[in-house]
Amino acid sequence: MSPRVLLLLFLRRWHVRIGLGAVVFFLFLAVTGVVLNHATGLGLDNRYVHAGWLARWYGISAEAPRQAFRSGRHDLIAANGRWMLDGRLSGEKLPQPLGLVELPDIVVVASSNSLYLYGKDGALIDRLERSALPAVPVQAIGADEQQLVLKTASGSFQSSDALSWRSAPRDGIAWSRPADLSAADRDRYAQLLEPGISMERILLDLHSGRFAGRYGPLVMDLVAVFLGVLSLSGAWLYFKRKHRRERH
Amino acid sequence: MRRAAHTPLAVLAFALVATAAHGEVYQEPAAFITEVFGKVPPPKVLWLTKDLQAEAAAILGHAPAQLRQRYWSEGGKSVWILEETGKEEPITAGFVVADGRIDHVRVLVYRESRGQEVREGAFLKQFSNAKLAQGDALDRDIDGIVGATLSVGAMERMARLALFFDRASRR
Repeated sequence: MSPRVLLLLFLRRWHVRIGLGAVVFFLFLAVTGVVLNHATGLGLDNRYVHAGWLARWYGISAEAPRQAFRSGRHDLIAANGRWMLDGRLSGEKLPQPLGLVELPDIVVVASSNSLYLYGKDGALIDRLERSALPAVPVQAIGADEQQLVLKTASGSFQSSDALSWRSAPRDGIAWSRPADLSAADRDRYAQLLEPGISMERILLDLHSGRFAGRYGPLVMDLVAVFLGVLSLSGAWLYFKRKHRRERH
Repeated sequence: MRRAAHTPLAVLAFALVATAAHGEVYQEPAAFITEVFGKVPPPKVLWLTKDLQAEAAAILGHAPAQLRQRYWSEGGKSVWILEETGKEEPITAGFVVADGRIDHVRVLVYRESRGQEVREGAFLKQFSNAKLAQGDALDRDIDGIVGATLSVGAMERMARLALFFDRASRR
């Protein structure tokens, strides 16, 4: 057998072996790539996977809720950037709350740099950032005769609508204070408020190989090299066969 | 294996969270309002009724995040500070509307890791004098920016929303 035929056989054999060996990776790359291209349209950037094992895998240490804020019939428990207001989850990437106040038509949650106003049905009415607040950082939130009161280093301010603010009196304010959670509640809320990772990020890490850790991208690099070898050997085999047919 | 996964992913997670938390503040919203009116007038409020929510949702492609929209107006001009997500993080932009047309636009806070080109004057100038046409679309096409498609889309949606809110506030 001539060296050229031997090379052809060798190439064909390895073309098939690499193709079969890497078919799962290729399909995986193709599917994750297509889904990533449409991640925003599919809303994957706004969908989160909440699982303790996933957070641990990502090196995110889950924070267990220790305290609750209560005002009237409302309560708020927070952990891992997530809030549970009256048993309803409020979103992701939320700041650490400082307190909760119930006013006639709204429930107000304060963080050091923002206020969140909720309707009695739990719908978000407004979110006020630092530029809409009388002063920051907010140190405490309270209520005084149906007025919302914020305590800051520059003084205390009160408002009935969280739009216009004026100086608040020093006395007679019921400040929101945290209450300790029982051990059973702590465990229950720790599960409900597990940290979340966006589906888009998980897909991106799967696609790039980063999900598997330090060596994952190297595996994906190897798969890319295999894909290159397959393309070149496939093209070479095709043109070789075509050239041979034309000669005969 | 698991330990190997921790370090790079934890660094990546920290970097993403740090970028998201701070963003790039080009101008504080209060400074933008002061620039327009010479002071910060008392804010006004547009309550999003069911009808307004539905129309805003049609413009945004999702339900509006909140039910009360603050704005500032004086002498026929109104200022709308809006937020809309480009890819992952919200972009905060200020829109000045006069006579049903956009007077000017500024990107105030940009939190995404790419696409900052939407804050450039050459891009934002396209919105000057834009008004709402049929179907609450802008009366012109906005040229995109390669690599910032989602941020451009977010800016366009906010421009439409600012004009729509301005119209609703005058009813």
